[in-house]
Amino acid sequence: MTTLLVLPAGIAWIVAAVLAPMDGRKPVWSWIAAAGLAASFVASVLLVFETLEGGPVETVAGGWPEGVGITLRADVLGASFAAVSLAVLLAAFVHEVLVGVRSRTFPALVLFLAAGLSGLFLTRDIFNFYVFFEISMTSAYILTGYREKDPQVRAAFIFAVVNLLGSVVFLFGIAAIYHVTGSLDMEVVAERIARVKPASILPIATSFFVAFSLKLGLFPFHFWLPAVYVGSHPSVAAILSGALANIGSYGFLRFGAGLMPKELGFGALVLLVLGVASIVYGALQAISRHATNEVMAYSAIGQVGYILVALAIGGPVGYAAAVVYAIVNALNKALVFLASGIRGPLAGAAFAVGAFSIAGVPPAAGFVGKVALFQTSIDAEGTFRSAALLVLIFVGSALSFLYSFQVYQRGFLAREGGDNRRPSPRAARTLTVALAVLVLALGLWPEPLLVLGEESANLLLEPPNRGLAEGGAP
Amino acid sequence: MILAVSIVIAVIFGSGAFLILQRDLLRLIVGILLISNASILFVMASGLSRGKAPIYPLDGASVSDPLVQAMALTALVIGSSTAALLLALVYRLYVSHRSIDIEDLSTAEMEAADALERVNVTEFDRGFRDEPVQEEQADERELEKEEPR
Repeated sequence: MTTLLVLPAGIAWIVAAVLAPMDGRKPVWSWIAAAGLAASFVASVLLVFETLEGGPVETVAGGWPEGVGITLRADVLGASFAAVSLAVLLAAFVHEVLVGVRSRTFPALVLFLAAGLSGLFLTRDIFNFYVFFEISMTSAYILTGYREKDPQVRAAFIFAVVNLLGSVVFLFGIAAIYHVTGSLDMEVVAERIARVKPASILPIATSFFVAFSLKLGLFPFHFWLPAVYVGSHPSVAAILSGALANIGSYGFLRFGAGLMPKELGFGALVLLVLGVASIVYGALQAISRHATNEVMAYSAIGQVGYILVALAIGGPVGYAAAVVYAIVNALNKALVFLASGIRGPLAGAAFAVGAFSIAGVPPAAGFVGKVALFQTSIDAEGTFRSAALLVLIFVGSALSFLYSFQVYQRGFLAREGGDNRRPSPRAARTLTVALAVLVLALGLWPEPLLVLGEESANLLLEPPNRGLAEGGAP
Repeated sequence: MILAVSIVIAVIFGSGAFLILQRDLLRLIVGILLISNASILFVMASGLSRGKAPIYPLDGASVSDPLVQAMALTALVIGSSTAALLLALVYRLYVSHRSIDIEDLSTAEMEAADALERVNVTEFDRGFRDEPVQEEQADERELEKEEPR
């Protein structure tokens, strides 16, 4: 059971280290990398089942006694985020292998990214989180420059500079939280934060909020996102928005809802306003753009707004909706960016599934996310707030339907005289269609998603209460 | 002591922030490095105890907090590797743009955005054809060029 905990990051890590000096353009190494990634993914899925049945799995790294060593921990929230991110990475990577890898380092970098992501989702130690976070970010900086054309190099530079500053802000927050609570273990920190006056935690909470908003590309921190998503190669854009952005939503859930629920409550109004601003701004900008990538980049800004709104309302329904929406959004974005990079029969169909899933049209998975959000806003305190949110979410969805249809029409319908470009390899198209089928299947049979969301919400609501009950007065 | 450390951190952070606002990309990187070092100093300052170096055996005297030192070391390693990466990126930018002035880069970025807009508008009028084909052919040529190595 505990070995399973190490596997997702471990396999990816070892395969990445082996592949690092090899020429990744040769299919052999690419397929070995894909096999490693698939093994990591399978391990993380098994971990999801394990945590659903038997609760969180924990182990202390290196055989140190508890409280001294770094604790690795998998719970439903972390394991499901790891599974989704690895799934997106696997799809994007296999897609790129089928189209043709153009850089020696591409497979190793994707694996390092996988190791970093699964490591940070499966840890209980805040500093360990930071280290894995930096590992995944560093590989992402290099990946953004993949194919090394001018726009891609520029995108990589912008991405690296902005996100490095985000990491620094995060490091300030970690140091401060250590100074206030005297620990880096998430459970101990959560317990002690519950007993500290919120005034001393609020600045720390703000620094975490800024750091994760930068990753996600929320409204006032979004300035880097369009340039990076438009500049980078489609499969890299799928990785960035489908896998890497999960760090931001996971960070909000884990650090906001898990560690600092009181402070999250104080900031609820700010979160709500920023979330709504993101939704409206993203949707309006997306409508005014033409290129598929650009529209989807602005749509990404809008979509994370929904997660923030769900988080701001909070409670079991809100947290569950945030988890469900984050997972669905990751899959949607991966599908849309991958489909925008291919041509030929069924490419348009796959794109349509992704685009309409973003808009929340019924058979696709996006509908499940939107329903969860509507539920959340009905649950929100106050009739006025509830009504306003309902209207806003409805308007946001209508706008996203508009730009989804626009971009689909421009990209795939309005081609007079037929498409004279060479279609993409059949295998790559099949993969994208498979991803589209997955999105549809999750929409038709949403129970697994809803269970994950519900269990994660219960988990997030549990720790501070238990800490208070056990610890009592200091 | 606390005041002195805070002032040092503030000054380093301030200088870094000033350098980040410069047009020269190298200065920008030096600015980022200064800011990340300010954060590492902040990590050191957040230690919970002061005293001698925490080396075993301990002779009863108070030791400095070893955890923050471990964190600072890790953060330093990460910082130096990202610095190397950033410098490599700037070199790559210099190779392709022949400049490390941020104005030139943003001009190039704006031109690319304008071109994108034009292509899309004309594509929309004409019914989408030419540009992407050329791009793909360029891709293929590139691939052929790279293959023999």
